[in-house]
Amino acid sequence: MMLHQEMARLAKGLVSDPVAGAPDADITLAPTSAEDAASVLGFAAEHSLPVRFWGGGTHQGMGYPVVADILMSTHRMSSIVDWQVDDLTVTVQPGVLIADLEGELQQRRQTAVLQEVPGQSTVGGAVAAGLSGWRRLRYGPTRDRALEVRLATGDGRLIRGGGRLVKNVTGYDLPRLATGSFGSLGLITEMCLKLWPLPPEHAMVPVQDAERALALAYRPLALIETNAGATLYLSGSREELEAQAERVGGDLVSGHRWPQPLVGAVEATLRVPPSAVAQLVEKLRAAGIDFQAAHGVGEIRLVGSLGELAELRDTVEATGGALVIGKIPKGADFDPWGKPPEGIDLQRRVKAAFDPRSVANPGILPGGI
Amino acid sequence: MTLVDDLQAILGPDRVLSHPLELLVYAKDAGVTPGEAVAAVLPETTQEVSACLRVAARHGVPVVARGTGTGLSGGAVPDEPALLVVMTRVDPAWEIDAASRCAWVGAGALNLDVSRGIEGLGMHFAPDPSSQAACTIGGNVGTNAGGPHCLAEGTTVVHVLGVEMVTASGDVVVLGSAAPDPIGLDLRGVVVGSEGTLGIVTRVLVKLTENPPAVRTLLLTFDSLRAAAATVSATIAAGIVPAALEMMDQPMVIAVEAFIHADLPVDAAAVLIAEVVGLDEGVDAEAATIERIAVEQGATSVRVAGDDAERELLWKARKNAFGAVAQAAPNYYLHDTVVPRTALADVVTQIYEIAERFELEMMNVFHAGDGNLHPLVAYDAREPGKAEQVQAAAEEMVRVSVAAGGSLTGEHGIGLEKRDLMGLVFSPVDLDAQARLRDAFDPDGLMNPGKILPRGARCYDYGMSALPESEPS
Repeated sequence: MMLHQEMARLAKGLVSDPVAGAPDADITLAPTSAEDAASVLGFAAEHSLPVRFWGGGTHQGMGYPVVADILMSTHRMSSIVDWQVDDLTVTVQPGVLIADLEGELQQRRQTAVLQEVPGQSTVGGAVAAGLSGWRRLRYGPTRDRALEVRLATGDGRLIRGGGRLVKNVTGYDLPRLATGSFGSLGLITEMCLKLWPLPPEHAMVPVQDAERALALAYRPLALIETNAGATLYLSGSREELEAQAERVGGDLVSGHRWPQPLVGAVEATLRVPPSAVAQLVEKLRAAGIDFQAAHGVGEIRLVGSLGELAELRDTVEATGGALVIGKIPKGADFDPWGKPPEGIDLQRRVKAAFDPRSVANPGILPGGI
Repeated sequence: MTLVDDLQAILGPDRVLSHPLELLVYAKDAGVTPGEAVAAVLPETTQEVSACLRVAARHGVPVVARGTGTGLSGGAVPDEPALLVVMTRVDPAWEIDAASRCAWVGAGALNLDVSRGIEGLGMHFAPDPSSQAACTIGGNVGTNAGGPHCLAEGTTVVHVLGVEMVTASGDVVVLGSAAPDPIGLDLRGVVVGSEGTLGIVTRVLVKLTENPPAVRTLLLTFDSLRAAAATVSATIAAGIVPAALEMMDQPMVIAVEAFIHADLPVDAAAVLIAEVVGLDEGVDAEAATIERIAVEQGATSVRVAGDDAERELLWKARKNAFGAVAQAAPNYYLHDTVVPRTALADVVTQIYEIAERFELEMMNVFHAGDGNLHPLVAYDAREPGKAEQVQAAAEEMVRVSVAAGGSLTGEHGIGLEKRDLMGLVFSPVDLDAQARLRDAFDPDGLMNPGKILPRGARCYDYGMSALPESEPS
């Protein structure tokens, strides 16, 4: 309570009502600027108060649970800062909803290639969680489009890395490091993303043999297989779409219908070398597990029981991949990451370079970093 | 035991060089600044690299890794007397996973050899620096190398899924994997482009890119550089990201034509080489759109390469531009800055003005599509004061690029060349953060010291003195 009063006094304008769906914290703060966010983090570091970051709350089930005194929400930092239409870059604050950004970009036939299904997810959340959506087979991961990042570090510094340029090797690649860092370095207060032009037409081709279709099609957007079957996702001119359909020997269906998120008590993603997907799909189908597999990428989203996941984890880790929990019942005894990656000491030291007092989403990463 | 004795105990006498004359050739790159080495080693395995680094750490000697020395920014040139670890022999058997479209290759493998080695699979390694026949994959990783075809495909970091690295203390660690989004922080992404300051990369997991079924290459001719630059901006703005979009100005075209004989239009003010790839059904339409835009912007002629031979000749002309210049003058200084694509015409105009003011002979060949400028100054270093003049002009060119929203380097790296200009684009707090990141990998500062970050980048000690109110600005 003392803390609450002290924080409330210091951070007057930043105090927010608790955010729907967020866990209990002593105080919820919603900064309106990078400077505010940095000041709060500086204070938190000085007093060793753990801070948990919150965007749209759609992926907060990932990682080890964070017990925080302060919940920092990004909902008051939700502006599109700078859209260079002719240069195909956009700079945004973290609280911008993906659906809003993509809607805006679509007006000029551009896309940030963030997730396809509308929802409450924010750009900051997607970047912090390193999420790439389904079209990554064609456009690569979000990480490869992170051009510039501004970060309020865990000890309250305001730093910038990269630049608003599509090609740039000036200094260490902080934008890539921040992507998928789960708030462990601090709060991303602004980011510049590379955009792609939206091709004129979109279509799908249902296919029988996913791997065969993948080999025949030329750089499709995605090839997603679910319990219901496999679908090739395409874009381009009408002539290109027809040529692709002919290559794979299937019929064109106009438009894109992306798989709706799988919802269950336990949600997980398998990340495996692309060559391991076909075999895993067979296994999942035999076990009657609901899944959505991205062929050529190596990402398989699924819902299942903890028992099923425990068995799958061994298989997945044997391929050099990981089974990553997206959601799990509170208190369940299941490691959200599994076997930590190599170089865990290096990971710990890098985190400490940005967050020496370990107050920024402490413990969320593999190895409890 | 001396450093050399200890190294010879690991590698034998033949693979440890310490004679000043032997070292001379290794202590420089393709740029203009020489360095000094205390010894050079030629390891063949990861274990040997590790053992050498342990020895260096024990002796407190700085370590600089190098490949074939094609770098231009001094990234592999020692800033202080150092042990040179020559990586060209570290090329163990490749492990190709065709189904996952990736392969583990040695840091010493040559860029072009990788693409040639997997040709039969219908795939290639996308980054294609002009030096690709001579440069190593390890060097590509160190500089995050680019090339003409990085416009659509991205620079080296996009094509490196993992690295095996020896840390400053000699430990071997694998960062990244063939599986997407390895869990934990993306240290692989930080290592690529770190110029050997975080460790020495010994093996690289490269992504393999499917060869396109169809390619169209266009040669567009303009009577002004501005019209060519406007064509670049208008093409991108029209929603086309070509596979490559390269520009050459008249002096460069003349030099190249004399060298390669590709039937280039030597009377044009500027030429663009545009390449689109994809399905047969798509490339003609895209090529036609580019042609239409170019004509709208004032292109005086458009030539589409009729066959593979003509296409290869155009690329040979482009990639041998620097060799061509060697004929024109004893020395050349090749710049590398990057600007927003929309600022291309303005910045190029300013760069011409600078060259004129300093009375320098300048030619341009650059990756126009991603705003990556390469003004090249041909000069004779024996002429008194000339080198200084070239240097001063270079700095001005960087400054106008930065003022237009650009940055110091698009693909050559910071190295020694631009280390002291980092303050133009980053604040002291930004640089301090980068220094802390570097220190996390190499606390004793033995890995390629003096690169990337200017001296004094660490503006305060670790700890809690860094509240925003008290930050230097």
